[in-house]
Amino acid sequence: MELYDRYAGLSYAVAMRVLGDPGRAEDVVQEAFLKIWTNAAGFDPKKGSLRTWLITAVRNRSIDYLRGRSAHERQELELQPELASTSTHSDPWREVSLELERMAVREAVGSLPAEQRQAVQLAYFGGYSQSEIADMTHVPLSTVKGRMRLALEKLSSYLLGRGLVDV
Amino acid sequence: MSDHEELESTVAAWVLGALEPDEAASIRVHVEGCATCRQTVARLRRAAAALPLEVEEISPPARLRERVYVAAAAARASSVPSAPARKKVVPARGRWKPVASIPFGRLPALLAVASVVLALLIGLAAGNVIGRNSVPPAAAQVARYQLVGHGALAGAHGTVVNLKVEGVALVDFNGLPPLAKGKVYELWLITPGGHPDSAAVFVPDSNGGKVVLVGLPLTGYTEMAVTAEDAPNGSPTPSQPPELYGNLG
Repeated sequence: MELYDRYAGLSYAVAMRVLGDPGRAEDVVQEAFLKIWTNAAGFDPKKGSLRTWLITAVRNRSIDYLRGRSAHERQELELQPELASTSTHSDPWREVSLELERMAVREAVGSLPAEQRQAVQLAYFGGYSQSEIADMTHVPLSTVKGRMRLALEKLSSYLLGRGLVDV
Repeated sequence: MSDHEELESTVAAWVLGALEPDEAASIRVHVEGCATCRQTVARLRRAAAALPLEVEEISPPARLRERVYVAAAAARASSVPSAPARKKVVPARGRWKPVASIPFGRLPALLAVASVVLALLIGLAAGNVIGRNSVPPAAAQVARYQLVGHGALAGAHGTVVNLKVEGVALVDFNGLPPLAKGKVYELWLITPGGHPDSAAVFVPDSNGGKVVLVGLPLTGYTEMAVTAEDAPNGSPTPSQPPELYGNLG
């Protein structure tokens, strides 16, 4: 219950961002929470927090819906170590920390050049391949690769500079 | 450009899930054997993991909470075998007894009870995830059954989650067709002798889904069925054979 209350808003928002469909977003969030509750053995704290596990599941399943793919066809995003540590305990400081994290991420993403931001967002939230993005944006594939790389490197540096990435 | 440079230039796309399967397979093999690329991938993955945090939270509909809890409770009860395929229920009108609807005044209390039980179930399940293991098996307290649609309701189904301890049950319906004007769905509990007792009336949402609270213990009933009846309060007796039904145990 606590897990749901804490992360349902973010999970639903990510699903809505990808799908733009409340009904499908609900389905995806339900599946993700069920997955986390029933596949306890699959959760490895060394690979990421519960939040990352959950949000990654929501993103991956949303993209499946969007692209009409089955799970086995998916190039699934893998878990990554968390930005800041996230315990499962209720803690006002933790909530503040999460909000600061989110502000920093918004600031970091907002500071990226528009074309770099577009490249990572089309991939992450749109589920488009680099070739599709090249076609959509009418630029060479090498340019798309470069934009993605630059965007993630800048994001990494920005967050590292604020002590949010333990590199 | 060397093979390494070529592949290394693609790791960001790989981290973002933006490669075709064959491209992703090539990168994976290369990264596994390349220390430099492994470091790059680790760094970029941490950045990619931050991307969902830029999204503004949206409060999901309240019914999603119910759906998630019902699904989790059903999953916890999954060690209880589902009811076997049942014989078709075609109740003879003369055998259906007058019904006892749930008084509306009881609903808040029943909902509170159900919430507590479900919260407990979710707590137990979440406890497993975070490493607590001193929880009793929930299967003895929760049983799950399936309702299957036929005829006009062939695409519909329901999952009954019987919370035995508290004497209530939840039914998660999906795929219900829209009702004709002036109609509601009515849920019936049927005794071994074929007497139906009304358990609830409801209208599904626009997606054909609905979570229905049954405020009656399922003890003493062998079947559950759904019919379409007159709005708003349903019928004292079923007016038609059910097309969505299943055994309770």
